[in-house]
Amino acid sequence: MSTCRALHRTLMALTAGGGLLGLLPAPALAAEAAPVNVTVTDKGCAPNSLTVAAGKSTFAIKNASQRALEWEILDGVMVVEERENILPGFTQKLSATLSAGRYQMTCGLLNNPKGQLIVQATAASAPPGPVSAVDLAGPLAEYKLYVLREVEALVIGTQAFVAAIKANDLAKAQALYAPTRVHYERIEPVAELFSDLDKAIDSRADDYEKRENDPGFVGFHKIEKFLFIDKSTAAAQDTADRLMHDVNELHSRIENLTIPAGKMVGGAADLIEEVAATKITGEEDRYSHTDLWDFQANIDGAQKIYTLLRPLEAKRNPDFVKRVDDNFQDVDVILAKYKSGDGFQTYDKVTESDRRAMKGPITTLAEDLSTLRGQLGLE
Amino acid sequence: MTKRNDTGPDGERLGAPPPACASRRSLLKLGAATGMASLGAVAPIAARAAETDDTKTAHQSQPFFGVHQSGIVTPEPAAATMVAFDVLAQNRPDMERLLRTLTERISFLMVGGPVPARDPLLPAADSGLLGPVVVPDNLTVTVALGASMFDGRFGLAHLKPKHLVRMSQFPNDALDDRICHGDMLIQFCANREETVIHALRDIIKNTPDLLTVRWKIDGFLPADTVRELGKETVRNLLGFKDGTANLAASDDELMNRHVWVQPGADEPAWTAGGSYQVVRIIRNLVEHWDRTPLNEQQQIFGRYKMNGAPLGEKHEHDVPDYADDPKGLRIPLTAHIRRANPRTPETQSSLILRRPYNFSKGASSNGQLDMGLIFVCFQSNLAAGFLTVQDRLNGEALEEYIKPIGGGYFFVLPGVPKLDRFLGDTLLSA
Repeated sequence: MSTCRALHRTLMALTAGGGLLGLLPAPALAAEAAPVNVTVTDKGCAPNSLTVAAGKSTFAIKNASQRALEWEILDGVMVVEERENILPGFTQKLSATLSAGRYQMTCGLLNNPKGQLIVQATAASAPPGPVSAVDLAGPLAEYKLYVLREVEALVIGTQAFVAAIKANDLAKAQALYAPTRVHYERIEPVAELFSDLDKAIDSRADDYEKRENDPGFVGFHKIEKFLFIDKSTAAAQDTADRLMHDVNELHSRIENLTIPAGKMVGGAADLIEEVAATKITGEEDRYSHTDLWDFQANIDGAQKIYTLLRPLEAKRNPDFVKRVDDNFQDVDVILAKYKSGDGFQTYDKVTESDRRAMKGPITTLAEDLSTLRGQLGLE
Repeated sequence: MTKRNDTGPDGERLGAPPPACASRRSLLKLGAATGMASLGAVAPIAARAAETDDTKTAHQSQPFFGVHQSGIVTPEPAAATMVAFDVLAQNRPDMERLLRTLTERISFLMVGGPVPARDPLLPAADSGLLGPVVVPDNLTVTVALGASMFDGRFGLAHLKPKHLVRMSQFPNDALDDRICHGDMLIQFCANREETVIHALRDIIKNTPDLLTVRWKIDGFLPADTVRELGKETVRNLLGFKDGTANLAASDDELMNRHVWVQPGADEPAWTAGGSYQVVRIIRNLVEHWDRTPLNEQQQIFGRYKMNGAPLGEKHEHDVPDYADDPKGLRIPLTAHIRRANPRTPETQSSLILRRPYNFSKGASSNGQLDMGLIFVCFQSNLAAGFLTVQDRLNGEALEEYIKPIGGGYFFVLPGVPKLDRFLGDTLLSA
């Protein structure tokens, strides 16, 4: 909990500034560390065991033996670093960047015992540990920009869509229905933070007891029914006005929104859950059968989040990244078969076997992406 | 424990598989072991085995006669079916015939006895599901009326219980009219599903011109439990303990305050001894839920999943101290248990007796499982009870994973105190 709150606070502080990426603190330049002294005598190294931190270390090797010296750091039989020809009585320096582990030092004559060099992991050098607020600040800032771009495109698209309805241009209104909605579907997890608007903009007839005839049923799908079943723009006038109003309201709320990191990261899974629950059956756009547009938009939205977080994951869990990449690709390949011009064929064209073939990758994506928040240490 | 023995011991069955499964399994085993070719030859043996298994619980019974109907504060057995009916009766005499018939059939079914023999050239008197002698098997059949019974049909409009209304949609609901409302709700509960089905088919067979089924949903609890309300908790299909803070049904004083309409209440006089019943069919989106981090699930409920203790406490029945956690740092303000029961003096009046069952029906067209909770509760005042609780729950964090899709509000008729009376007689004579 407390880590989570601290993270939110940091992120809020970061996002409040506006120019986000520029604000990231540059890593402090590490001061040059003092050299680690080692003296080689005729009998061996003194001290015979050294411990240093992972990363860059400088060794000062004093040759206190009778003969010229070759000093090496060994990892098993492999020579990691070496300094040749240190003359008796002289000291030379050797800088080496070492990762955590146990190494050996050569100590003069071959039959002298080898010294131990222990390199300890540090925060900076360790295999990637928990993700910090700073790690997430970049992806989060980029995601906020993405969301803003999409909601702006939604406003502009809705303006044109509503204008076509007002002008009683049925064909144009029908043509604009699906491309307008995609901007909503891509950012659905964020839009759903405002459940009143989500219901007003994107609810389906099943959400109401009296279905299509329920007075509460408004928004895109109500207009979809007017345009594609009733083939009427006249009936859709009032609902169109209401939609424009609600979309503008959504825009202004999102502009002032700080997206919590957990919401962004969890959004990837939420979008796939949307696909699994309602897109794969073709029940979302039951009047226009333009489900594939929404389907692709949900995938796009999930993929956007994933792509922003992928660099953090790639270091930590390469198998996970490969599986997710592959499953996104499988879905993309099937969806691509149904592309038509700038959009998609109607959902009834999708074969039974393709619907089935998508269920495996979609369900696996849902399972995998549901672990993303936890993997990134988020509540 | 003593109370439990009063209603019939089930200790023998603890840890044993559910009897219905056992009999089916032993039937298969028998068939395999003996290599019998014909199922017909096996069936009698299996049936006898099942009878021995269930002998003790089969004779458990609940009282039919009393000030209140059974099936509310009586222990909650493993099987239940809620059936909503449209009433076909068109006038008061038919209405009375319906209520008298229900009284006669239910009073028989809850006690049991031999099925009358008939000329085999005719259909038998009952379904035969329980054999020649009907056993009570803890059956309760509880009759309640919907608001639509108080329309113009029977001249009862002025007698409608004050708070009885048609269920309307809450923000997270997606009500399906095909599984909502009804003139009459009959709740069947018993140890075994077969007993429930037998009773339902008996009533349908005896009321052909009076009732028609509008919707039906079957529920279950762990088969080895006869749950005493307020004392034992089982898990819902989200894997959380449900009913920990329920009212103790054995506490008469508590029941009179929160469950039963009292004589002299601000209600039509005939309602005394009755109760408002809420049924909500709540689908659980279990695939999505199973992909939700454990911590988040626990924050959503406000309890630890494994032991059921409130977050920050150790034991299931520990009482959460919300006054000490005003900002919801320990138990979030959106957590289910906190919204449902804020445990303040002002919210005491919204306490309700819950009596829920799980359901599991099949799969949706998207390949996801259709299962969830049949939420059932009873209260003396619908507005102060469930409606107030649900208003607090609107917007709770759990909403993402649940979808109320059906059910309705009903008024449970007062009980039948003695032999010469019938269900709803005070309503018809009022």
